[in-house]
Amino acid sequence: MSDPSSINGGAAVAMVGKDCVAIASDLRLGNQSLGVSNNFEKVFQFGDKTFLGLTGLASDVTTLSQVFRLKTNLYKLREERSIEPQTFANLVSSTLYEKRFGPYFIGPIVAGLDSKTDKPFICGFDLIGCIDFAKDFIVSGTASDQLYGMCESLYEPNLEPEDLFETISQALLNAVDRDALSGWGCVVYVITKDRVVKRVLRTRQD
Amino acid sequence: MDIIIGLTVKEGTIIATSKAATRGISILKDNDDKTRQLNSHNLIAYTGESGDTVQFAEYIQANIQLSTMRENEIELSPKAVASFVRNQLATSIRSRKPYQVNALIGGYDTKTQKPSLSWVDYLGTYVELPYGAHGYSAFYCTSLFDKHYRKDMTIDEGLKLLQMCVDELNRRMPIDFKGVYVKIVDAEGIRQIDFN
Amino acid sequence: MSRRYDSRTTIFSPEGRLYQVEYAQEAIGMAGTAIGVLSPLEGVVLACEKRVTSKLLDNDGSTEKCYVINDKLVCAVAGMTADASILINTARVHSQHYLKEYDEDIPIETLIKRVCDIKQGYTQHGGLRPFGVSFLYAGYDDRYNFQLFTSNPSGNYSGWKATSIGANLSASQTLLKKDYKDDISLGDACKLAIKVLSKTMDTSNVTKDKLEFATLSKLKSGKVMYKIWSEDEIDELIKVSGVLDDADLGDDE
Repeated sequence: MSDPSSINGGAAVAMVGKDCVAIASDLRLGNQSLGVSNNFEKVFQFGDKTFLGLTGLASDVTTLSQVFRLKTNLYKLREERSIEPQTFANLVSSTLYEKRFGPYFIGPIVAGLDSKTDKPFICGFDLIGCIDFAKDFIVSGTASDQLYGMCESLYEPNLEPEDLFETISQALLNAVDRDALSGWGCVVYVITKDRVVKRVLRTRQD
Repeated sequence: MDIIIGLTVKEGTIIATSKAATRGISILKDNDDKTRQLNSHNLIAYTGESGDTVQFAEYIQANIQLSTMRENEIELSPKAVASFVRNQLATSIRSRKPYQVNALIGGYDTKTQKPSLSWVDYLGTYVELPYGAHGYSAFYCTSLFDKHYRKDMTIDEGLKLLQMCVDELNRRMPIDFKGVYVKIVDAEGIRQIDFN
Repeated sequence: MSRRYDSRTTIFSPEGRLYQVEYAQEAIGMAGTAIGVLSPLEGVVLACEKRVTSKLLDNDGSTEKCYVINDKLVCAVAGMTADASILINTARVHSQHYLKEYDEDIPIETLIKRVCDIKQGYTQHGGLRPFGVSFLYAGYDDRYNFQLFTSNPSGNYSGWKATSIGANLSASQTLLKKDYKDDISLGDACKLAIKVLSKTMDTSNVTKDKLEFATLSKLKSGKVMYKIWSEDEIDELIKVSGVLDDADLGDDE
C-alpha cells in the first residue's frame, strides 16, 4: 500500500516491429485509489528517435524526465548531434545507479531507432539501472503482469508500423483495463525511419 | 482534515480553504487563512503537518518575491512557480526531515491570459488540473466536480459549484471546519470574496 | 607609473583604473570582428570574421566564433576562444539548470547576468587573470522578444539594436549607426551586417571561408530557432548583398 512504486499507478510498454518500434503509456495519475489526473503522459522524447517511458512514483517520473532533458540537451550541444537510443540507455543506467542506495522508484523503458542503421532498439531497466535487453517487447508499471500476458499472446515479430500500432494499443488497452491503478487514456508513439507518429487513444474513464 | 479545493473557470481560478485550525480533538482558531500570496497572479494554498505548512509556504513566498525583485519586477509565470514548488518538495522528500505539505497553486498567466490550477503533493507530484483538492475533501468534491464542471464556466457559476462542494462537506465531514475563505486569481490579480 | 599596478587584477591604480581588465579588452580589440544586428520583429543576426583560415584546418564543420547556448540563445565570441569555451559551457549548464528548476527557458538577461557575474569575479578576487573575451548575444524570450547584448571582460553588459565587438570597433559602429533603421527586416539586417563587416575587415575581399553567420528567427510554426549558416548560404548572401561590387568600388576610391 505504501510501496512508492504503486502509489500513483501507471503502465508503459515498448515493442519492436519491422524497421520500426512503438512505445506507449497510459495517462492516469492517482493518489492510491483516487484518480487525480487523466493527462499525465509517461513517454518522453530525448532525441530525434529516442524515447523513454517512465512508470512508478510520479514525483520521480517528473524529476527524471527533467534530469534527462538536462543531460540530453547538454549532450546535444557537446556532440552536435542528438543522442542514440543505445547511448541513452547507458545514460539512464548510470544515472539510476548513481542513486544505488536511495533509488528513484521508477521503471524506465527505452525505445528508438539508431540514426545510422535505422535498427530498432528497445530495453528496460530495474530501479537501480540494470539493463534488460529484449528483441520483442518490454513492459513496465503496475499493470506489468497483465502486459506480459497481453504481449505474450498478441506479439509477433516483423510487424509493419500500422500492425505494430494495433498490437501495442490492444496489448496496453486490455492490460490496463484489468488494473485499477492504470488506464484513463493512452498515448502511443510509432517510430519509423522517416517519421514519428503520436496517437492519443480514448479509453474507458473508470 | 483541512480542506483545500480549487477550480479553474473561464476567466480565473477559484481557491477555497477551510477556516478551522485544529490540533488533535480541538479547534484552536476559526479564522485561519491557509493561503499565501506569492506574487500578483499566484496564490498558494496548503495543508499538511502544522508548522511545516506555514514555514514552507512562507519560504516559497520569500523565494518567489526575491525572484520578482531580481528580475526587475517581472514575475514568474504560474507554470514556473509550480515547477519551482514541485522541485523544492521533490528535493525535500529525500532529505532527513521532509516537509509534509500538500499544495494547490492558483495562477493566472498574464502572457497567455490563461488561468491555471496546479496540484502538488508532499512527494513532489505535480499536475495541472481543471479542478482538484487535497485530503479527505478530495473524495467528496471530485465526484461533484466530475458531474457538474464545465470548462467555460463563469466565475459566478464556479462559485455556485463551489457552494455545492462546501454544502456537501458540511453535510459529510465529521467535524465542523468553520466555513471557507474563497480567493479568486484572475487578470486583475488576487482578491478574497465573501462566501457562505 | 602603471608598472606597479598593472600586474594584479584586484588593485586599482592611483588613477582609478584596473589595468589587467583594460589589457584584456586590448587583446579583444585585436580579435576578429563580430557584428550583431537586431531586427526587432523578425530576429537577430550575428556575423563574424574568422581569422584562422587554413586549408589544412580540419574543424569537422564545427564553428569557431559562433556558439549555441540553447535553442533561443546564440553568441559570438571575440577574444580568447579557450577562455570563451569555459564561459559558454557554464552558460549552457546554467540555462539547463534553470529549465529543470522552472520548466521554462531562462530569460536572456538573467543568463547574461549570471555569466557576467562570473566575469566580474575575476576582476575582484586576486591571483587570477580576467576572462579575455567579449560576447555578442542574440536571444529571444517572451518578455522582450528578440534581443541583442554584448558583454566584456569587466563583467559589464548592455543591450543594443546593432553593435560590434573585436577589431575596428569604432569604425563598424559608426557604419551601423549610419545605416540602421528601427524597422529593419532580418534580411536587410543580414545585408547590413555583411556590408559593415566587409568594410571593416583587413582583407580586401570577403569570402565564405572568412565568415561565420548565425541567425535567430521565428519559424513558420511560430517557434523561435537559431540557425548556423552553411558556407553555401553565406556565399549566397555575399552575392545578394553585393559587397563584392562595393569592395571593387572601395579600391577605386
